[in-house]
Parts: sequence; C-alpha cells; structure tokens
Amino acid sequence: MEKERDVSTSGEEQVSGKLRVSRRGFLKGMGVSTAAAAMATAMVPQLEAETAPLVKGIREAVIVTEINGKKYRLAVKSHWTLLEVLRRELGLTGTKKTCDRSSCGACTVIMDGKAVYACTQLAIEADKRKITTIEALSEGETMHPIQAAFVREDAYQCGFCTPGQIMSTKALLDSNPRASLAEIKEALSGNICRCSAYPKITKAVLSLARKA
Amino acid sequence: MSSEFRVIGKRQPKMDGFEKVTGRAKYASDFSLPGMLCLKILRSPYPHARIVNIDTSKALALPGVKAVLTHKDMAAYPRWNPSYPILTDVARFQGDDVALVAAVDEDTAVEALGLIKVDYQVLPFVLDPEEALKPGAPKLFPEGNLIGGKPVVVSRGDVAKGFAEADLIYEARYRTPINQHATMESRACIAQWGGGRVTIWDSTQAPFEVQKAVAKALKIPQSKVHVTCEFMGGGFGDKGNPGRYSTLAAVVARKTGRPARVELDREEVYLAAGHRYPTVIDLKYGVKKDGTLTAIQAKVVADAGAYAMFPLAAFDALGCMMSIYRCPNMTGEAYTVSTNNPTTGPMRCVGHPQGTFAQDVHMDIIAEKLGMDPLEFKLKNHARLEDGDQFRKIPFTSNGMEECIKRGAEAFQWKEKRQKTASQAGPIKKGYGVAIHACRHGGMPPGMPLSGMVRINADGTVNVFTGASELGGGQKTTMAMIAAEELGVLLSNVFVISADTDMTTDTGVTSGSRQTITGGTGVKLASTDAKNQLLDVAADELKTDKKNLSIQDSMIYVAGSDKGVPLDQIASKAPGGVIVGRGYMKIPTDVFFHGFAAGFAEVEVDTRTGHVKVLKIVAAHDLGRAINPLTAESQIEGGVVQGIGFGMTEDQIYDKATGICVNPNHLNYKLMTMKDVPEIVPIIVESIDKLGPYGAKGIGEPPYTPPTPAIANAIYNAIGVRFSELPITNRAILMGLKAKKG
Repeated sequence: MEKERDVSTSGEEQVSGKLRVSRRGFLKGMGVSTAAAAMATAMVPQLEAETAPLVKGIREAVIVTEINGKKYRLAVKSHWTLLEVLRRELGLTGTKKTCDRSSCGACTVIMDGKAVYACTQLAIEADKRKITTIEALSEGETMHPIQAAFVREDAYQCGFCTPGQIMSTKALLDSNPRASLAEIKEALSGNICRCSAYPKITKAVLSLARKA
Repeated sequence: MSSEFRVIGKRQPKMDGFEKVTGRAKYASDFSLPGMLCLKILRSPYPHARIVNIDTSKALALPGVKAVLTHKDMAAYPRWNPSYPILTDVARFQGDDVALVAAVDEDTAVEALGLIKVDYQVLPFVLDPEEALKPGAPKLFPEGNLIGGKPVVVSRGDVAKGFAEADLIYEARYRTPINQHATMESRACIAQWGGGRVTIWDSTQAPFEVQKAVAKALKIPQSKVHVTCEFMGGGFGDKGNPGRYSTLAAVVARKTGRPARVELDREEVYLAAGHRYPTVIDLKYGVKKDGTLTAIQAKVVADAGAYAMFPLAAFDALGCMMSIYRCPNMTGEAYTVSTNNPTTGPMRCVGHPQGTFAQDVHMDIIAEKLGMDPLEFKLKNHARLEDGDQFRKIPFTSNGMEECIKRGAEAFQWKEKRQKTASQAGPIKKGYGVAIHACRHGGMPPGMPLSGMVRINADGTVNVFTGASELGGGQKTTMAMIAAEELGVLLSNVFVISADTDMTTDTGVTSGSRQTITGGTGVKLASTDAKNQLLDVAADELKTDKKNLSIQDSMIYVAGSDKGVPLDQIASKAPGGVIVGRGYMKIPTDVFFHGFAAGFAEVEVDTRTGHVKVLKIVAAHDLGRAINPLTAESQIEGGVVQGIGFGMTEDQIYDKATGICVNPNHLNYKLMTMKDVPEIVPIIVESIDKLGPYGAKGIGEPPYTPPTPAIANAIYNAIGVRFSELPITNRAILMGLKAKKG
C-alpha cells in the first residue's frame, strides 16, 4: 500500500533506511560547521578515549517541511516529536495525543501519502516531507466528504480519536478508493476508538468506498 | 411509534459534529495561554512507602522552575473522601502523587522531577482484598482496610428456610479484574487566576463538583470559580469526580499568577486515574425443580484499591444482582476493601458488569442442572413491573424486560441456534449464550440537582443552557431536540451551551445514564416556562386568547387560521426584551429509574489456539423512549464493544512480588479494535416510562453489561467448559480444555 515517495531534491542524497533522515540535508539545514558535522557523526565515543570530553549530541536542528500546503522552516529540538511540534509549536491541535507510544492512532497524520503516527515520528524526520493534518481537509464551512460521512453516520462519540480515524480513512481511500470491508478494517485497526463507534465508522467509510 | 412528535424520535446526527470531525473542537488539552506553566507530578515507584525525607532544593534552583510542592505545602488540600492530602507523605499505590513541579515548559518540568530527592521507607503491601481483610495484613489507613469497619449486610425473608425448600442448591465463586477507563483524552486541565477568581478549562463530567471542590480547597466562594468543559474526550465515569489536578492547577495559578496546565501522560492515567474495581463474588442459590428461586445468598468483596472514590463499591455489585430476579429469601454481604492496588472509582455501569457476570453465569449453570432452557429460566424468574426492584422493594417506573428478552431472542433466532450445538465435528466450535440485566440508573439521591434554562432571543432563535457535559453520547443534541419539541421551534434554531458553571445550572453529574432524565427534564420544564411567556406576548400582540395559540416549526398559529406569524415577530416584543424559561424539579425520593436489557452472543472457539471469535451480539435495551434513536443505537454499540473487551482481553495486571503494574499502556492493556468488532444488532425497546421526559430513561451505561456473561455462556455452549474468572483469554480457554480432558 505504501507508495514509493519522491523525496529527493536536487543535489540531495536519496532518503534511505528506516530513519528516513537525509543526513546531509539535516546538517545543511542546521547550518553547522564542518567540524561540528564531524563531531555529530562520531556519536559513540571510543572506548579507549574514556577521558575525552563527552559528545553531547545534537540538541537542535532546523527543518524545512510542508504542512497543509504551507512551507515552514522550523527550529526543533532533536527529541521533539512531530506531534509536539504540530500541537505545541504550530497550534494545530486537531491532531490529538492519547498514548504517545504509537499504540492508538489518535495522532495520525498523512506524511507523503502514507498514514503515520505523529507521536512516533521525530520532528527531524519530517524534514523535506509533505504533511497533511485534519485541519487541511475542510474548507471554511465545507466538510470533506469523509468528514460529512462521519457526521451523517454518527461515526464518532467523544470525537477525540476522530481526526485520526479520518486521516487513516483518507490515506486508505486516496490509495484504494474502492476499499473492501476487510481492507477498511485492516487500515483502521491501528486507530482505537474507546467509545467504540466502530460499527458506524465502518459504515461511514464503506458508504464512501461504495460510491467511488 | 413516535409519530406524535415532530423532533423527538427522529434519527438526528449530533449537532456538534462539524467541530469534532474538522479538528476544530477545543478540548481542555488543546488550550494554550500566554505564560502558561507546565505541571508535572512526581509519583511513587513503590506500592506502599513512607516518605522519610524529600529534598526539592535542586529542582527549585533549576532555571525555569516556578514552584515545587510536596505534602508539606498541600496538607490542607484533601483529595476526596477519605480526606487525605492531594500530595501524600505515605504512598499507597504505585504512582501515588508525591510532589508537583511547575515550570515554564515541559522539558524543564521533566528535568526538575529528576532533581527531586526522595528517601522512601518501603512498607509491606497488600494487593489481594481477601488478604487485606486478614489480621496482620499491611494497613493502608489507621482505621483498617475494611471501609466502614464492617460489611454492609442486607437481608429479606428467611434464607435458611429458602435453602430448606430448594430441590437444588448451587454454590460458586467468581472473579473480575482491574479495568481501566482508557479515555482517549487524558486527565487534563488549565487554571487561570485573574480578576480575583479562577477559571478552569477542564475535562470533566462534573463541572459543578469541580467548582465546589476547588472553592472549598482554596477557601474562596463558588462564585469565584468558573469551570468550563465544552468538549471532552471520553469519561466513562473516571471524570465524574472532582479531579485532584483541577485543585493543584488552581493552587499553582494562584501562587504564581500564571496559567497552570496539567496533562497526565498515558502511563500516569493507567496508574493514577480511576479504575473499575475488581471483585471476588461468592454465590449460593437455591431453586425448585420447576425453576422457582427459593434463596439467594451473595457475598461481594470489592477491591477498592487505595483511596476508594466509591466507599460503597461492593454494595453496588450486590444491588444489581439482588434486584432483577424474583426470590422471597435473599441475603447479601458487601465488603469494600482498601489495598495497594490503584484507586478505583465509578466506571460505566458501576458494579453491574461484575455482579451480572457472576449472576448470569450462575443462573446459566443452574438452568442446565434443571434441564431448562436458560432463556425460559430467565423469563420465569425476572422481576415484572408489578414486582418492583427486588433489592430495595421499590416500584419500577417502567419495565420492558420481557419485550427485550422476546424481541432479542427472535432477532437472534435463539431456539434454532441452540439446537445446532449438540454435536459439532472439527476443531472450531460454535456456541450461543444469553444474559439479562436490570440497570438501576445512577443514583438519584435526594438533593441531586435537576434543572435547565432556555432563552428565546429576539430573532426567535433559542439558547439552551444545561449543566450536562457532552461526553459523546449526544447529550447536547438530546437537549436541543427536547427544547425544539417542547417549544415548537425548528431544531436548527436551537443552540445548546453546556457544562459551564458561569452560564448553566447544575443538573447533576453526567454519569449513571442520568442526563436524559435530569438534564432533559430540566430543559423540558424550562421550555414549557419559556413557551408560556412567549404565548403571553403573542396573545397580547395578536389580540387573542392564549389557548387559541400554538407553535409549530418556529411559526405561531391562531386556531382556525393556517397563516402563521414568524416567531421572531413575537419574541422581539417580549417585555424586557428577552424570554428566559427555567425548569427545575425536586427528585422524588425512593425512585430509581431502571434500564432493562437482554444480550445474546454467538461465538466461535478455536480449540487448537484457544481463540474466541465473537461473531454476533444482539443487544435489546429498554430505554423508555428514544429521544434520538441514532445516538441511542451508538450508545448500545459502543457499550457492547466495551463489554466484549471486559470479558475477553482487558486486565490491568500487577506483579504480585513487587506490586508494580506490568501493562500501563494501550499496547499491553488490550483494548478492542475495529477488527475485534462482531456484527452488533441493537434493538430499542420503548416501555414509555411514567416519570422520564416523554417517557425516556437512560441508555449510557447498560449496554456494557450483558455481553460479558452472554459470551461466557456461549463459550460453555460451544466447548462445555465454564469460566468463572475474567478476562477469558486464549490461555484460559486452553487450560480449561486441558482440565476438561483430565
């Protein structure tokens, strides 16, 4: 389901590996000197150099990211999560924090076309990425069809997991507009709804998949 | 069925949906104020320990730290009853609140927590409530572990005589685990001090209880405490008490002059918020050959954990068991016990899931021993309208139990299905089970507020002001529908303001399936009052007698004419410029509203892996009248799924050797996901209650309860193994099958 993403930019090395951080782009964004860059790569001190000064590691970075169609240059601490940056630094509070440990899906956003848990992405991993949050789906007073279906079918109760459910639904239907019931259940099984509006969420998403 | 109404009985999507689906709804944890401080709590790593010394100097010296508080500062601020301080000098459970840091940001607050040095004297602890009752057990409180000092004993008839008359006596023991509310939104609030008073944005089912608690703790009048909660991310009972964090935030806001924000992380919620209390239940029932119950003897030991929020925990589980079946001789003992387990408090359908699981598995076993169909056994014994509540001997205000059982059985095809399970080849076995439940809706004690306010604006639109919290059950929409119906205005012209102590009036905690009854009645009476005032104006303006007037779809009609006058033309002429209606009622004593329910479960058990797949739940519920069938159905579906979790997976586990929780997170405390959800068939039974507004009762709590025993009975029907302990995990199934083989 995951699409290969074209995240390379001219002169940048291709993103690879699990962390998906381009180190060159990362350091460039930080605007650090070559010496500092060399230090940053020597993350683990050698055993024989026990008396050498402890490497403190990277504390801050500048990332360039596109959120809801708008470009941002953001100074972030290296341990900040994408969720913290969205909610606290940018005030995009539609994305919710529940477990903060990638086990509930309340913080689901779309990163380069794929649904991800914002609580388990470091903000530095969002460098050079395109991110869509719940705030981008509606336009003024007009709801996105997924949102309208959720309201119509009563596919939510307290509403706290709802932005995450809707973002997972969008990622699914963008790549698989005629998703089957089994595919819907698979795609949304990472989004917990403690009120358990599940039967009606299924109904809402199915109504869209059948229309497509 | 509801055709006499224009608004009530229609499937109405919730009116706050736009806010929620667009992410614009602001929950307590979404607010941010300039200069806001971040509050973090230092928690005990031990289940039981005395704090010998606590050194906060290094934390206080950290730049950005604005306050550090310990039990020395907070001795005057009680957490609840029992009145022990919010920050403690004796930790009584793992995660007990020891100290608080207020800092300019989260990173600094977390760093400061690490700089607080605490010397603990580790004390012996006790996790098992029966152990806690023994002499010599570690004591949590000087007065002993049994809350109240003696069990609560209730008795009716002559149980010894009842057992003597019985043809069959059956005894067994049942156990239920610690459950977590697991609300999606954590415990969160922000307090701001200014203008001589405090404003608290809270996530609460009980804004007026928070107001009272904060006023009392800070020694300021209630008029100077403003609590507001427009949206909240789930409650399920956990947010029905005035949380201690609201008080802590208010204290810090006053002390520092800056807004103070608390948001517990998920592990903290697991450890330190409320829980469903675990129980040990002993039952002994006597019955005649024809299925007549002659004696019920029940003993409930409820583990209230540390600092019981609910001193009568065990009594509630007992009450639900003793109210539903007709039996002349009953006796019950309830022990509510303090242990070093986490604090317990109300959770959806307080005590009933525990009691009903025990009782309806017990009844299923007895039915089998008598050679009776369990459904017939229930139909024979359930208390009818004229029988009343068997426990309290008070009349029911309505009773749709028989219709629930019959319509549920028909939809489930009970008879046909039960015949299918006699012999099944292959490793996968199907089974079918049933359970019933009478849910005494949350106490309506004398003095419980019941009120509402309605304002008709000059443009003919209506504002409803209700103290009810919108938990997600559609409370606001229900209130709007009641106002629209009663006033004769268009629903789209009604806007509801809820759960705000500045604007609304107290109408009781939003818990116990209460708000349709209390809030709904308040709004209905307020609407009648407002309508009356409006018609006075209309009679004047239209020069006719008031009794000739009617209102429909926001138009006022004079009898005999079909030409209506728009409401705004009259409302704008109101003397004083505005019409305010108020509604209130003294709740009659000795009245308990009851919801009735029958649940049917179809399961598939894989005897090779022990995995149980719940295939179908039929849930028939008597809710009096459905004001909004759409949201009533949602309540049923949601409760059913939670009940399946209670039966099959949910268990907050503590290591017996250390008293430490091993699964305080959403990954290892197994919550139901979309993949676990079976086909659910909600059936709405309308018994038209004689006291509720338009005949309505509540539907928030009962759906949680019947699925668990129905599933346990269905599993027995499939594989012939009984389970008396929850949750019924794959491992339990395999062990049970092994034991059966011998």
